[in-house]
Amino acid sequence: MCLLELVDIHFSYPGHERNALHGVSLHFPPGDRVALIGRNGSGKSTLMLHCNGILFPQQGEVRLGGVTVTSDRASLTNLRRHVGLVLQDPDDQLFSASVAQDISFGPLNLGLSTSEARARVDEAAALCDVTHLLNRPTHALSGGEKTRVALAGVLAMQPSILVADELINSLDPWARQQIFTILDRLVKSGKTVMLATHDMDVAFGWAERVVWMDEGKIYFDGSAVEAQLLFESENPAFAGHVPPRL
Amino acid sequence: MNLIDRTAYATPLRKLDPAYKAGFSLLVLILCLALNRPLVGVVAAAWMWILSIWWAQLPASLIRKVLLAEGIFLALSVAGVAVNIRFYPFFFGITADGLDSALLLFTRALGCASAMNFLALTTPLVDLLDLGRRLRLAPLLLDLMTLIYRFIFTLFESMERMRTAQDARLGYSGFWRGMSSAGELAARLFVDAYQRSARVQIALEGRGYAGDLRVLPAEYRRDRRVFALAAIVTLSMFFVWSL
Repeated sequence: MCLLELVDIHFSYPGHERNALHGVSLHFPPGDRVALIGRNGSGKSTLMLHCNGILFPQQGEVRLGGVTVTSDRASLTNLRRHVGLVLQDPDDQLFSASVAQDISFGPLNLGLSTSEARARVDEAAALCDVTHLLNRPTHALSGGEKTRVALAGVLAMQPSILVADELINSLDPWARQQIFTILDRLVKSGKTVMLATHDMDVAFGWAERVVWMDEGKIYFDGSAVEAQLLFESENPAFAGHVPPRL
Repeated sequence: MNLIDRTAYATPLRKLDPAYKAGFSLLVLILCLALNRPLVGVVAAAWMWILSIWWAQLPASLIRKVLLAEGIFLALSVAGVAVNIRFYPFFFGITADGLDSALLLFTRALGCASAMNFLALTTPLVDLLDLGRRLRLAPLLLDLMTLIYRFIFTLFESMERMRTAQDARLGYSGFWRGMSSAGELAARLFVDAYQRSARVQIALEGRGYAGDLRVLPAEYRRDRRVFALAAIVTLSMFFVWSL
């Protein structure tokens, strides 16, 4: 059973002739470990915004548990409860001056009580190893800490699918490893994680499935091993490269 | 601003209920305004100095610098009150009345400023926003303050990065070149802030934003000894006023 399905999505931004997404269809079964790759401007971010209901397709539909998502508040809240979105720059995501308050924003928007929201904050903070930062101001965190707090803010909503846009791009190797540990825990607990990345080591070393986008279309959707072979055939300079186990 | 923020987060009074700290500071401020004697302001400033160092454990050098800066500013401001100018018959000088008024104004303002310093240096803005929510201030105002406070720091970081990038390409190698670079930086910063606001909107909506920024209330320590302290400070100010 696929929780989230994108069916024949077409989308273009106002004032742009070219379609940002052109007939994109994808499905996400539980426990999937997906890397989303593609050149800049290939439609990765637009696709992610559709997964969370920030953008709506001009043609096609997004289905959650087999039900078409509509733009009414209840349907959107339900989608955002199940699909968490983490942006590339954590500074875009952390709006509150306090870490604990920032993490509590999502759970409270789900209508949880203060005590339930507090429990969710503690749980997400423990999962992302930021419990010791809960009383710190967000502007005093390092880049890696900000990323983990931004992740905790989304995971506190307990989504079934996590969609993250270039989450690890600006992180040092140690901070990256911490993020991968968190993502591995999520996948083991049956959640699907889709990570947009330009790092082929991440795509081929961490993911099991690779979705490759090109000019608003799905160019390839298959196993990481097949994706690597295709990538190497198109880019011989990378041939023979063994991605690290992440 | 960074220094005030860091100090407020580091003080042992950080976890004391902001309502107590704000109430205490407000009480001192009202007493300074209501009790019309120069010595009252001096006593208020002295109390705030003592409490900042002994109770809030703030660095004495910081309190000294802040009070000195405020004192110089106030002295320059009240100088005009002390000096008396009259054209018919011509008089230019300092009268006893003028000096009394200037002294009263100076000590009163210094006492009030000390009370506000105490609040600012022991209470991070996030706690004041929390207090505002408890006092049922307009949510829109509090949400705006939350976002402005958060993004002041982000904007500073962007500005630093842009300035470094300009500097590395000799953007500030002369006065006019520097002025031109600063103008470009300001324009770019505006665009950056605008684009960031769009991304923040996306991030908030992604977490179910429905019109107001609902967050958990912070947990604070309540210490009834504050009331005793407030009573002692009030009595001492009334005592010097009655002299």
